[in-house]
Amino acid sequence: MKTNFKKIAKDGIISSNPTLKLVLGTCPTLALTTAAMNGIGMGLAVTFVLICSNILISLLRKAIPKQVRIPAFILIIATFVTIVRLALDYYLPDIYESLGLYLPLIVVNCIILARAESFASKNGVLASAADGLFMGIGFTLALTTMGAVREILGAGAIFGYKLWDFSIGFFSSSAGAFFTYAIFIVLFALITDSIAEKTKLAEKNNNGDFTKPIEEAK
Amino acid sequence: MENKLIYSSSPHIKAQRTTRRIMIDVCIALLPATIMGIIYFGLYALLLVALSVAFAVIGEYLYLLIAGKTFKEITDRFDFSSVVTGLLIGLTIGTNYPFYTPIFGSLFAVVAVKMLFGGTGKNVVNPAIAGRVFIFISFQWAVGAWLFPAIGSVFGQTAETSATAVVNVSQGIIPKLSVLDMLLGTGMQGCIGETCKLALLAGGIYLAIRRVINIMYPFIYIALAGITTVLIFGFDFALFLPSILSGGLILGAIFMATDYTTTPNTTLGNTVYFVFLGVLTAVLRYATNMETVSFAILLMNLTVPLIDKFILNKPFGYKKPQKAKEAK
Repeated sequence: MKTNFKKIAKDGIISSNPTLKLVLGTCPTLALTTAAMNGIGMGLAVTFVLICSNILISLLRKAIPKQVRIPAFILIIATFVTIVRLALDYYLPDIYESLGLYLPLIVVNCIILARAESFASKNGVLASAADGLFMGIGFTLALTTMGAVREILGAGAIFGYKLWDFSIGFFSSSAGAFFTYAIFIVLFALITDSIAEKTKLAEKNNNGDFTKPIEEAK
Repeated sequence: MENKLIYSSSPHIKAQRTTRRIMIDVCIALLPATIMGIIYFGLYALLLVALSVAFAVIGEYLYLLIAGKTFKEITDRFDFSSVVTGLLIGLTIGTNYPFYTPIFGSLFAVVAVKMLFGGTGKNVVNPAIAGRVFIFISFQWAVGAWLFPAIGSVFGQTAETSATAVVNVSQGIIPKLSVLDMLLGTGMQGCIGETCKLALLAGGIYLAIRRVINIMYPFIYIALAGITTVLIFGFDFALFLPSILSGGLILGAIFMATDYTTTPNTTLGNTVYFVFLGVLTAVLRYATNMETVSFAILLMNLTVPLIDKFILNKPFGYKKPQKAKEAK
């Protein structure tokens, strides 16, 4: 079976970006994006768990009975989350502190369970690993940009470096989290939709299908 | 054939009341309070109010221009509601706020709270309240202590500098300032538009005469807030008037809580809404030791869809359908 890595990459980062398109894992997205560094930390932790759990679930997909697959997935995910937690606590205590409660909560993060259920339990090991990697990258990118925007506006800093003394406290509050998240989803949808329209138009032109008039965007 | 028969759907008789007219009425009603605020707090107050009004209007124009409307279209359909929003934001901040705060507040209120939800009449919460709360939670770091008005107390002792009257009331302490001073706003710290209660009441009476608002509802709100404060502190009736006259209660009750879009549709619903508003304001004041009128209105705004869902007007002659009897 041939694996289409390009499609997996595009799915993970753009067309079904877990945060901005599927709106999964909103809890860490809303709570942790007060700083860009949190976004990177959380994103990488989730990426690691995603890749590992996807690989293991993909390997075990024939062995796990269908009736008990959810508890089995959770067990596998929890194993890797524990590994990440202990490793972060030992090597990067600062990030461990700032992620706090949300680190163990990766166990019930719906992105990981969703990918296990909809991808890893149906596809081969290599494809599942790639899927985990690119989903994780999509999640990390979304969280980091959101964190950066909220950190610049809400605290006047970026990655902990003070830029100026001006800040709009609204953006570090939870109301600001919802507001920024909504704006991000809208902008992302606008950009990806306009790109999709353009590629569609281009494909139509290239195919030389002149029988139908070219539809205007939207 | 000549076009002598004109068809049109109802309504055939239209009143002169348009959104623009009502909003201009609200602006007129706010004028006395604005003038008193400028007299009390000087030209800086004028600057703050002017900036907030200007940027509220600019925000609306910018949004509609980006949305593809022409300048003339916007001006023709301009309904002055953003002027009211800007004016209210300007009046609910104090002269201890930096000059850029009303700019951010007005832009947020008009663009994010009103226009993004679909414009006048479609907003979920009152834009002015949202803008004021936005300023309040965003720029705490830039705000100094409340300033005193230029005209000192006329009828008695001046207030303590340590706490504003409303903070005192929220802790059950009767402010030193006399009630008459509170009514006039002389020698009283506070926001630009909320100090002179007499001017606000005059504006409220004007709105009631022009039938823009039903004076019953602000009355319920103000009375309930006072009564709840009295009850919280164990029937201390001396607190009744100070709790009403301190802070932004009258401004909020007359001009902000009565916004058409963010109040329930029915009489009963409105009564429930304003009763809850009064109780919530007093309880929140007690719980936080802050002025909580804007937060209470914001919270209650969000419950309006719920109130409208559960309290409906009964259609005339409507009977509850009998439950179908079970077969056999």
